[in-house]
Amino acid sequence: MNSRTANPSITAETIVEFCRFARERGLPVSVKETLGALEAAAALGPGRTDDLRFGLRSVLCSSMEDWDLFEECFQAFWNDTSEVSTPKQPHVRDTRRSEISVHTARSMITSGSSGEDVSSEQEGVQAVAGASIRERLAKADFSTLQQADMEALEQIALRLFRQMARRLARRRRISTARGQVDLRRTIRRNISHGGEPISLRFRERRPRPHRLVTLLDISGSMSPYSVFLVKFLFALQKHFRHVDTFLFSTSLVEITPLFRGRRLRDALRDLSQLPAGWAGGTSIGGSLREFNQFHHRKLRSGDTLFLMLSDGWDTGSPGVLAAELARVKRQVRRVIWLNPLLGLKDYQPLTAGMSAALPHIDVFAAAHNLESLLALEKYL
Amino acid sequence: MGGNEGIVPREVLTQPEPACSRIITMVTSEHSHSSAGQCVDAIVSGFERLGYVTDRSLATTVFLVTKLRKPILVEGHAGLGKTELAKAFASLLGTRLIRLQCYEGLDVSSAVYEWNYQKQLLAIRIEEQSKQTVEEKERHIFSHEFLLERPLLQSIRAEDQSPVLLIDEIDRADEAFEAFLLELLSDFQITIPEMGTIRAKHVPFVVLTSNRSRELGDALKRRCLYQWIDYPSLEKEMTIVRTRLPQIEERLARQVVGYVQTVRRLNLSKPPGVAETLDCAEALMALGKKQLDEEAIRETMGSISKAVEDDARIKNAGMSTLLNQ
Repeated sequence: MNSRTANPSITAETIVEFCRFARERGLPVSVKETLGALEAAAALGPGRTDDLRFGLRSVLCSSMEDWDLFEECFQAFWNDTSEVSTPKQPHVRDTRRSEISVHTARSMITSGSSGEDVSSEQEGVQAVAGASIRERLAKADFSTLQQADMEALEQIALRLFRQMARRLARRRRISTARGQVDLRRTIRRNISHGGEPISLRFRERRPRPHRLVTLLDISGSMSPYSVFLVKFLFALQKHFRHVDTFLFSTSLVEITPLFRGRRLRDALRDLSQLPAGWAGGTSIGGSLREFNQFHHRKLRSGDTLFLMLSDGWDTGSPGVLAAELARVKRQVRRVIWLNPLLGLKDYQPLTAGMSAALPHIDVFAAAHNLESLLALEKYL
Repeated sequence: MGGNEGIVPREVLTQPEPACSRIITMVTSEHSHSSAGQCVDAIVSGFERLGYVTDRSLATTVFLVTKLRKPILVEGHAGLGKTELAKAFASLLGTRLIRLQCYEGLDVSSAVYEWNYQKQLLAIRIEEQSKQTVEEKERHIFSHEFLLERPLLQSIRAEDQSPVLLIDEIDRADEAFEAFLLELLSDFQITIPEMGTIRAKHVPFVVLTSNRSRELGDALKRRCLYQWIDYPSLEKEMTIVRTRLPQIEERLARQVVGYVQTVRRLNLSKPPGVAETLDCAEALMALGKKQLDEEAIRETMGSISKAVEDDARIKNAGMSTLLNQ
């Protein structure tokens, strides 16, 4: 590989280093992708930097989000090597043989533009401190977080949500079987052909849940959590074939089209401009009734997960809430209710609304910190 | 057979483009003296000659597809020329395009091969009186004569040169099919129990497209070169309109492109792609319009907006905004 990359400025070593750099920045680059990158660089040979950028991008990325991330990495890496490391050349040379890649990559991360999250630590202790911060933040309640922690947590959360989505995608059952032949129906169907089994009938297997319908409470009492939960939902949608997402406070707003096939930051920007009554009052029963009235077709008993994210503080009548939730439950495979308050030590679901809803819920879980959200994975 | 008789994947053939032979040899030959940069240039200009306006990023990826022989996965919104890419690619290489349109429930028997059951049954009846042994009869009814080749099998059975295999809207097929595809893309061989294993003589160039209606499996994505196609810039879209509709007047073209670019910023549920721009421009020309005005917008609304609520949103935006005044 080495001999084929003739360009003196971009050697195989640089490519490998860049791959490692990109991986530390969150791009899913494994050995396989690194080898692919080397091949691509070899095929492109010396020439325009742009071509190399486009080529590496097509090898190392596998989604639009990766694509954005790649651009950042490429800028940071190559700008750094040209501007920063040229004056520091002797220093880099010294360490070249042994620890070069780890060292330079790390110094690049700390000098990088958006590496706010760990900027206070210095190189040596960074890994250890990073881990403990992560630990602490994952357990911290969203509502008690400081602004600075919030940003750090967001970075960690986005990465973990992504990993979770990827894990879920990997866990898909691999099978090409078509189900068993239904002999009875096959024979019945083929009587007109004189009993020759020309058109076979099959018995279908019960499908995995493919649809996710989510209702997120954005009323005042939920406001410390709702921003975070929106991001969680955004990450989640990749796992399902059909995702329908709604926000509600006193009424229901569908935000599915804002989410579909978009970048997170674009979706969030549009979301903030929505006239949806952020931090207003709550009518859970009323919103559910609205859902049942206009959107009940989105529910299919075989393969729908219904996810409700709310603290259960309802100003409406508990009877309505119970009746509407019962209607939903009849039409879905599983009702999951996530309640941030469940994370509080002495919380009991005793509010009228919550206790009315409980009998119709299959999974009742907390959603107050990162850990609890990630724990949801086993129900999906 | 099952429940979806009649829904047979479409397959499209394109005429090879003889003018591009120079590019083909330049790009695909191992011992070419041209540098990678020159090859990429050649691909850009070759595509342009075929009426497919592209940028360097896509052309570089296409170049890598021919060099590394990996599949290319193209993602992007509807109407931005993902399918066109495969057609142009096939014409550029002067080879056959084999297309597999994916849909929910697509299975191996409509994507790979199927035995022609009816014909087999008929053959058994006809041969009932013959003196052939059972083995001979069996060999006969499981021969090529009774095999219905579907796109994937066709693509690996190409005799003379590598075809381009377009697997369109892979996100609409289910995971089981995706897993099967993964296997095919790594070995390029298909096993038919009654006949044995068929290995590709010429490994096809594979183009996969996706509208991102669901996330594809990790393994499949990692096997592919990735290309995201975004909405084109004003300048690029102008070039596309000029290339595809050479007889359009410059002023009308600029107005239409500006109008569509404004509409894209209105957060519609189905934003118009380049295909819609071309539709709209063509509609205006058919109506004999010399310029875009309120009436023209109203009359060609159907080519831009594909949903009732989008209609309303465009109308609410106000004519002066739409006409860029």
